[in-house]
Parts: sequence; C-alpha cells; structure tokens
Amino acid sequence: MKVLKIGAVWCNGCLVMRPRWQEIEKENPWLETQYFDFDKDKEIVERYKIESGVLPVFIFLDKNGNEFLRLNGEVEKATLIKTILENKEK
Amino acid sequence: MKLIKLFFTILITLVLSFIIIKPITAQENDVTIHFFWARGCPHCAKEEVFLQKLTEKYHSLTIKDYEVTSSQENALLLKRIGKELNADVSGVPFTVIGKNYVAGYYDDATTGKEIEEKVSCAIREGCIDLISNLKQKPDIEAEEPTSIIPSSLNVPIFGSITTQNLSLPAFTFVIALLDGFNPCAMWVLLFLISLLLGMHNRLKMFILGFSFIFASALVYFLFLSAWLNIFLFLGFIAWIRIAIGFVALGVGGLNIKEYLANKSGGCKVTGDKKRRKIFERLKGITQNKQFIVALFGIILLAFAVNLVELVCSAGLPAVYTKVLTMSKLPTWQYYLYLIFYILIFMLDDLIIFITAMVTLQAVGIQSKYSRFSHLVGGILMFIIGILLLFKPELLMFG
Repeated sequence: MKVLKIGAVWCNGCLVMRPRWQEIEKENPWLETQYFDFDKDKEIVERYKIESGVLPVFIFLDKNGNEFLRLNGEVEKATLIKTILENKEK
Repeated sequence: MKLIKLFFTILITLVLSFIIIKPITAQENDVTIHFFWARGCPHCAKEEVFLQKLTEKYHSLTIKDYEVTSSQENALLLKRIGKELNADVSGVPFTVIGKNYVAGYYDDATTGKEIEEKVSCAIREGCIDLISNLKQKPDIEAEEPTSIIPSSLNVPIFGSITTQNLSLPAFTFVIALLDGFNPCAMWVLLFLISLLLGMHNRLKMFILGFSFIFASALVYFLFLSAWLNIFLFLGFIAWIRIAIGFVALGVGGLNIKEYLANKSGGCKVTGDKKRRKIFERLKGITQNKQFIVALFGIILLAFAVNLVELVCSAGLPAVYTKVLTMSKLPTWQYYLYLIFYILIFMLDDLIIFITAMVTLQAVGIQSKYSRFSHLVGGILMFIIGILLLFKPELLMFG
C-alpha cells in the first residue's frame, strides 16, 4: 500500500496535517508515502483530478497502483492509523 | 378744563389698555419643547438653530434637549414617549410640544412652521407637559434589567469592576478574535512564511515578516476607521441601523453556513491564477538582493493583497464600528478601541509567524478553532442583528 499526499504551502489544513503524518510515518516505518505540491506537481494534480475540491488530499493506492480510497481535509490521526492498518495487506 | 380733559383721556386710555392687554398676557402660558437629537445628525443641527430663534421670539418658551446616542436614559425616555404618543420614534430629531409631536426636520418653512404653529397654539391655550409627567412616573420595564445585571462586579486581584466599562472592551475582544479567524488573507501569510523559511538570515526573515503583518494591520485599521467615520457622520439615522442589523443577520447566516459546510477543515482550491501571480511576486520580492527593495515590495504587496481581501470580511467590521459609534466616546477613545481590535485581530497571524520563525517550520492552526469561531460568531451576529433591529439601546455601552 502507498499513500500520496497532495498539499500546498498556503493551505492551513495541509500544515496541520504535516506533523500528524510525520508521527504516523515514524511509528509505521514500512508505510510508503509520497508528498506532492499542488502548485508544482501539476501532472499528479491532473492525473488524480484535484483541480477543484479541498486540500489536503490523501490518496491510498494498492500494490498495483490503483486508487482504493481518498480522504480530504484535516483527518484525525486515529482515523488515519485505523485506515492504514485495515488496508495494510492491499 | 383742558387739563382735566387730558387727565381723563390718559386715565381712560390706561384703563382700556389694561382691559385689552391684560387678558392676552394672562393667556400666555409657559411652554416647554422637548427636543430629542443625536450627535452627528445634520437635521438635528438644523432644528437646533431654528429652536434657538424660536426662544428669542417667544419668551415663555423653554427648550429641553436630550441627546439619545450617548445617554441610555434619554433613549429609553424617547421610547416611552413613543409608546405614550403611539408614534414611531426610530429616528431623530423628535420634538414634543405638550401632547403634540413633530418627527424629523426638513427646513424652517415646512417642519419649522409646523413646530411654531404647535408652540403658538400651546402658548395661547396651554398644554399638559407630557414628558415632565412621564419623568415623574417610574418606568417598570426599564428598571427590570438592572436587577439582572449588577452595575459592578468584585473580581479577585482587580477589585471592583464596573460592568458598563467592561462590556465594550469585552465586546471588542470577542468580535476581533472572531474576525481574526477569518482565513481571507491568511493564505498569503502562509505563502510568505514558506518563502522566508528558505532564507538564511533570521533577522531579515523577522523584519520582512513583521513588515507584512504590520502593513496588513495598517490597511485593516484604515478600513475600520473609514467605517467608523461613515457612521459618526451619518449619526443616529434609523434606516442605517436597520440596514446594519440586516448585515449582521447576513454575516451570522454565512458564519453558520461555513460552520456546517466545511466539516473537513480543508482549503478550497479556487483562484489558481491569482494565487500563482501573488506567489511569483512574493518569490521575486523575497529573493531580491537589495533588502530595502524587498522591504518596500513586501509592504506594497501587503497593501494590495489586503485591499482585495477586505471584501471577504466587510460584514464584521461594519457591524462592530456601528455598535462602537452607538457609545458616546471621545474621538481618541474610538481609535484606541480600533487599535485594540487590530491587536486581537492580528493575534493568530502573529502566533503563526513567530512559531514558524522560532521552530523554522510552518505551522497551521487546527480548523476546529476556526469552525468554533464561525459558530460563536454566527450566533453572536444573529443576536447583534436582532438587537440592532429591535432593542438598539441595549447595544449602547457606557
């Protein structure tokens, strides 16, 4: 499983989520995550259709790279951990 | 003989003049005009000049004036008179002569003439001084609230605090804090922080960041001052108060909507081109090798961005300054309140900026606080809106 994190430097919610993800990544070193900037990484923004909506966006991909879940905005750490552990084998 | 004839002629003339004149002077009754007015009201000022002329013309005429925006007592008296006369007292000037009244004032030839006719009629025929009678009767309705809110509170350390003096600073604090959570111009500050963190000189980072915040505060101060002066100029005009009451209800509705809509606390992706343009400009400014150019650039950009974003927060400052002008204060105190408002308003920006500069990491404020502020702000604006429409005297602090 892999998580794509899409945020922006001007987005307050993205800044709130940054330390939460840092903690999760530290506690789960096996977890693969990748950060993309909304203003710089336009290819990813277009591919995942994030031109409109709410930032930050967290896209959960399975082993084959297919999206199976998408979360938006400020998500509680407990919710993220629960989601990650439930889908660990995907 | 001629002398006796002259003596009798003078005597008869004197007797006749007493017979004719005496009844006229006996019918000249003392009349009091009760003149309700407001500071800054141009029509009141016009009527005041006219009434002054009237007292010179009629010596048995007395004017008693009541300023309604500074004195809650006078405002309540006007309300009682409205009830008693079954008249609309939502605006001033309001003139009472006995049991007659004249609402508003246009000019000497129209409203002035009407007042003079009522005065001369009262002088000839006499009239009951309704207001003097009313003032003697206690107002049961008006006395009720005083028993609920004590006039002073005993607070540990601070001692006795007068509640009326406390209400306006407390009101300012709450509204400014709520307004501060408005994220309109926050994204620009976050942009700037992300760029400043890439610089290596901490002193320059602080100077540029503080200049941006200070310039933003200045724009907002000017904006608030403009609203304040508009309301001071317009004075106690009923429809302005009613319009601001509806604005408050609208702002309240928008805040509640925001509270209910944005549960995830994310950032809406809109205005891509505008954001990119500002980002490029900020980048150019912060990377400028000449520090003084960068400094002026950041100040100019803060002015430009905040002027554009003002539209987004027009409601709260308008409602706040309207309520502020309803308390009679010396001019310098109005501005002191505006400075206090700005300090509280910029508090979240300062916290975010200083934390980022100290920890060298951009931080955000959790959306639950801004959502909470939207909820409290919405409810508060609803209450203020209803009070402005139906019970404005409750918003006259001090």
